[in-house]
Amino acid sequence: MTELKINGKVYQVNAEEDTPLLWAIRDSIGLTGTKYGCGIQQCGACTVLIKGRAVRSCGVTISEVAGDEITTIEGLSPESRHPVQKAWIEEQVPQCGYCQSGQIMAAVSLLERKPNPTDKDIDRGMLNLCRCGTYTRVRKAIHRAADMLKEAS
Amino acid sequence: MKNTNMKRRTFLKVTTLAGGGLLVGCTFSSPKLMSTPQASEEELGLWVRIGTDDKITLILPAAEMGQQAHTGQAMLVAEELEADWNSIRVVTAPYHSEFINLSSDPRGIQVTGGSSSISFFWEKLRQVGAGTREMLIEAAAQKWGVPTSECKAENGRIRHSGSGRSLSYGQLAADAAKLSPPDSPTLKSPDQYRFLGKSMPKLHTPDRVNGTAQYGIDVRRSGMLFAAVSQSPVFGGQVKSYDEVAAKTVNGVEAVVPIPNGVAVVADSTWHAMQGLAALKPEFEGGESVGLDSTKVTARLRAALDEMGKAEVTAEKVLDVEYEMPYLHHAAMEPMNCTAHVTDDSCEIWAPTQSQHECMESAKDVTDLSEEQIRIHTMMLGGSFGRKQTRDYVEQALIVSKSMQKPVQVIWSREEDTQHGIYRPTSMSRYQVGLGRDGLPVQWESQIAQPNLAAQFFPLAGWLDFDPMAVAGGVHDYGLFPDHFYKVEGVETDHTGVELGVPIGPWRSPPNSLNVFYTESVMDELAHLVGQEPLAYRMKFLTESPRHKAVLEQVARLAGWGDPLPEGHGRGIAINDWFPLEEAKTVVAQVAEVSINNRGKLKVERVDCVIDCGIAVNPDSVKAQMEGSIIMGMSAALFEQITLEDGRVTQSNFDDYRIASMRDTPEINVSIVKSGSDPTGTGEPGTSPIVPAITNAIFAATGKRIRKLPIGRQKLI
Repeated sequence: MTELKINGKVYQVNAEEDTPLLWAIRDSIGLTGTKYGCGIQQCGACTVLIKGRAVRSCGVTISEVAGDEITTIEGLSPESRHPVQKAWIEEQVPQCGYCQSGQIMAAVSLLERKPNPTDKDIDRGMLNLCRCGTYTRVRKAIHRAADMLKEAS
Repeated sequence: MKNTNMKRRTFLKVTTLAGGGLLVGCTFSSPKLMSTPQASEEELGLWVRIGTDDKITLILPAAEMGQQAHTGQAMLVAEELEADWNSIRVVTAPYHSEFINLSSDPRGIQVTGGSSSISFFWEKLRQVGAGTREMLIEAAAQKWGVPTSECKAENGRIRHSGSGRSLSYGQLAADAAKLSPPDSPTLKSPDQYRFLGKSMPKLHTPDRVNGTAQYGIDVRRSGMLFAAVSQSPVFGGQVKSYDEVAAKTVNGVEAVVPIPNGVAVVADSTWHAMQGLAALKPEFEGGESVGLDSTKVTARLRAALDEMGKAEVTAEKVLDVEYEMPYLHHAAMEPMNCTAHVTDDSCEIWAPTQSQHECMESAKDVTDLSEEQIRIHTMMLGGSFGRKQTRDYVEQALIVSKSMQKPVQVIWSREEDTQHGIYRPTSMSRYQVGLGRDGLPVQWESQIAQPNLAAQFFPLAGWLDFDPMAVAGGVHDYGLFPDHFYKVEGVETDHTGVELGVPIGPWRSPPNSLNVFYTESVMDELAHLVGQEPLAYRMKFLTESPRHKAVLEQVARLAGWGDPLPEGHGRGIAINDWFPLEEAKTVVAQVAEVSINNRGKLKVERVDCVIDCGIAVNPDSVKAQMEGSIIMGMSAALFEQITLEDGRVTQSNFDDYRIASMRDTPEINVSIVKSGSDPTGTGEPGTSPIVPAITNAIFAATGKRIRKLPIGRQKLI
C-alpha cells in the first residue's frame, strides 16, 4: 500500500511501488483528466503538480511521491475557476483538448515561478506538445492569466 | 426567406418521448411518418430531443475531434429552432443511415471527414431546426386558439404578440409531438441570424479545461480489463514466439490473446498490461515490407519516375526539377484505443472513431451478431487528422473482449501508435516546364510516383493504376476533374502507383498535402527563372479565378507583401483550394516570413492567412482551424518524416518523431473573407499552403531551393 495525497484527499493505493504515478492516478484512483501521451516524459499530457511544481507523472513512481501534495486538473479549483482555467476559456484555447490538462498544469507552475512571464519565458517554460497547434492561444491565455493573478493579489 | 438548394425533399418525423418531450427526425428516404411513440431513437434517426425541463439535446452526425463540428452543427439547428443557446446539449449520433455524410465518403458510409461536417449538413440541420420551430409554434397557436401568424419563436419560448402570453419549448413539446411535421419548413434569411456568423464559445471548452471531457481512453466500465498490444513491426508479419509464462507471472495479468499480426496481454490495469507485454517479449517473422528501407523506397520511386520517362521540352527557358516528400504520421496526442464489451448476444463499442461504419463492419465480422445487437458509442477523439477511421484498433478490442467475455479497453503505447500508422504517402515528382518569351509556360510536363491512396478505398483505382489523389490539387489535364485554378497552357501530367507494403491513409488534406507543395514550389521557381515577382506572376494564371485572386491580394495586404525586411529574412506565398475534386471550394492563401541566422538556423517568424470558406458559421472556429493547420503544416515542413529500416518504421515516440512546439510557433494572423455563399470546409485547407510558403520564403531569404522535405538539417546558407 502506498499513501498518495491527491487534491487534498488521502488514497491508499494498492499497486507496486514502481508503478508510474500516471497509471495510479488514472487506473487506481480513477481520475482520468490526467492523460497518457507518450510514457517517456516527452509530451507533457500527464503533467500534474507535486508540491506546486509541474511534474510529468509518467516519469515518477508512486513510492517517490508518497505523502507529497499532488494536484491534478480535477483538483486545481473546486468550480474550474482557477485564473488559468478562466483564461483558457476566454481565449477558447482547446481544440481536441486532450493535451490541455497538462498544458494548464504546466502554465500554473510557470506562473508560480514567473508571475509576469515574457514570451521567451513561455517558450522555455511550456514544453508540452499540442498536435492541434493551439500554441498561439496557450501563449495569449498565459499572459491573460498573469494579468488576472496580478489583479487578484 | 430562403428555401432553396434542397436537392431532395426533406421529411421530418416526430415521436413522443416517454414522460413527455419531443423528438424530431428527418429523412431523405422513407415516407413521412406521424407521431410514432413506439419507435426507438435509433429507428427514427432523430436529431432533436426537447425535454419537459426545456433542455434541448441535439443528436449530431459529426464525431468531435477538435474541429468543433459539434458546436458548428449545433449552431445550425439552434439558429432555426430559435433555441436558448444555454439549453443546448449535444451528443454524437448513433450508427444510423440518417447520419451518412456523402461528402465524407462517396461510398455512402457513416464517417466524419473531408472537412464537410458543416457544408454537407448546412441545409439539413437548418431544416430540422426550422421544422421543429414551426411545430412548436403550431402547438402554441392551437393551445391559445390564435393564428400561427400571431405567434413567434424567441429564445426557447413561443410568444403570442397580442396577449403577451408565452410558453416554453418544454411546455409545448408533448403537444407539438402530436402534430404533423411540415414538409418544407421556411428557413431564416441571413439578416435574421442570431448565431450564424458570430463567434460562439465552443460547447466543449468548459469540459476540456477541467478534466471532465470523456475521450475514448477515459471509458470506464464495471469489471473492465485493459489490454496492451504488440503488432509485427514489419508490416503484415506474423507472431513467431512469445513467453506466455513470463507474462503471466506479472501481477494482474489475466490472459494472452492473439490478434491479427500480433498479440495482446490482458490485465487488471493499463500498467500491468504494459508490464505483461514487456515480459511476453513477442518475436515476429515475415511481412510485406521485409527488407524495405528508406533508400530502397527512394530508389523504387525514382525507378517508377524513370519508367514514365522524361518529356522532350524545347522552349526559350526550361525548368527541369525533381521533388520528394516523406511518409508522415498523424501523431494525435491520444494514442489509438478502443473499449468493447462482447457477449453471446450483444456487443457494445466505445471508440474514439471517425468511422462508425468501420466499427459496425468490424463488429459484425468478429462477433457474427446482427446490427440490431451492436451498439456504437462515439467518444470524443483526442485528435485524429484522418488516423482514427480504420478498424485495426477496434477489431483488436472486439477480439479480446470476445475472448474474455468482459469489457476490455485496448490501448496502444505511443511506440505502437507511431509504428503502426496509416502514413501520408511518400512521393516523388518531376516537373519540366518550358517557358515562352513572355515567361509563361508553353509546355508543362509533370510525373508523380507515389503509393496509390485512392486504392485504399476503391480497389478499382489500384487495378487501373489511377489515383485521383496524385492528380487533384495540382495543375493537371484530366478532363474528369474540375480544372486547377491556375490556367496553364500545354499541360501533360502523368502518375503511377508504387506499392511498397507500407500502410497509407489520408493525412489532413489529401491530396493537397503533396500536390500543393509541388505546384506552389514550381510556380515560385518559374517566377524566379524569368525574373518576375512571385505574387504578380501567379496572378497571370488567375484570369478565370476571381476568388483566388482576391484571396491572394488580401493576404498580400495583410502580410505587408513587398515591405522591407531585416537582413536574413524572407517572405514566401502560396495558395490552394479545397476540396479540389468538388465544385464548391474553400480558398486559402498564406504568406510565411522566415529568418535564417548566420549559423543557418531557421525560424518561421510570422504567418498571415486569408480564407474564403463561404459564410464562416463560427468565425472563431475557422480561425482556430487555420492556426492549427498552419502549425501542423509547418511542423511537417520543418521536422517530420517516417523512415524505414529493415522493413519497419524507424521512429517510435516524440523523441524521434519531432513535432512543432511552443518555441517553434510564429505570430499568426488570420483574416476571413466576408461571404454570403454557402459554407465550405475549413478543417484541412490551411494545412498545405504553409509548406511551400515556408520553402519559398527560404528561397527569398537565401537563394536555397528546398526540393526535398522535411527541411530538417538541410544546409540553408
